[in-house]
Amino acid sequence: MSGSGSTSPPSDPTGKKILMIMTTGPEDPDKTYAPFYTAALMAAMEIDTTMYFLMHAPELLKKGAAEKIPLKKGGNLKMFLDMASENGVKFVACAESCRDLCEIAPGELIDGVKLVGSATMADLALEADSVLSF
Amino acid sequence: MAILNGCELPEDRAYFIERTQMTWAMVEGDRVTVGLTDPAQTRAGKILHVRVKAAGTVRERGKPIATVESGKWAGPVMAPVSGTVVEANAEVEKDPTLLNTDPYGRGWIVRMTATSPAELASLLRGEAALARFKEILERDQIRCVRCQG
Repeated sequence: MSGSGSTSPPSDPTGKKILMIMTTGPEDPDKTYAPFYTAALMAAMEIDTTMYFLMHAPELLKKGAAEKIPLKKGGNLKMFLDMASENGVKFVACAESCRDLCEIAPGELIDGVKLVGSATMADLALEADSVLSF
Repeated sequence: MAILNGCELPEDRAYFIERTQMTWAMVEGDRVTVGLTDPAQTRAGKILHVRVKAAGTVRERGKPIATVESGKWAGPVMAPVSGTVVEANAEVEKDPTLLNTDPYGRGWIVRMTATSPAELASLLRGEAALARFKEILERDQIRCVRCQG
């Protein structure tokens, strides 16, 4: 994981914004769980948390995909994806990655995913207090 | 003490049950002590970290008074009523497993001063609370266990 922005956590993170860039997809299941878990926790801390999925990461958001990604501790990725969603994490997917790399049609994504262009990643990164990449 | 699916549900508490939240509230006048219920601590699993909002924090009903991490679950503990945190339990921050081992005792999370009598009255109590818990425990197939610190 690499990050940018402030490294010392504020005493009260309420209202801060974090952008998480997800580039890993189902090809490496071990790298998929921690970002959703961390995002869920940050949202529970009332941090405005957005996950931006690009390259092969949008494949995690395809309907039925998370259920097929097993975790070493048992269970599958779906429970962590749901936990993040329930806690208020926003999911944003790169339209170009979906179309050209993952070949996912908009209707194949789970509910609540917003499809955006690459320029939006720049906007989100500049608006965020911190950017984390996974 | 009512017991459903092995879950202890003390009758002297009121309950806040909403979405994934299942917290208890001990109401004494406008003072409210808040903690996780037995089903909530079971669902979370062994709790590894707790962050509690500091005294003086003003919260609306449904906003977090703490965050809890167990490795398989990370989420907020919501305020069952609007009010001000007057005391945060420092003991649970040092030993988070108290939320698992003694959820209705030493595992309390915050004490608050409530601002809305109507919200206090809307908390679930008695048979209404048990009926709601029965529904959730059956739906989510929860059977309570208490891990040992």
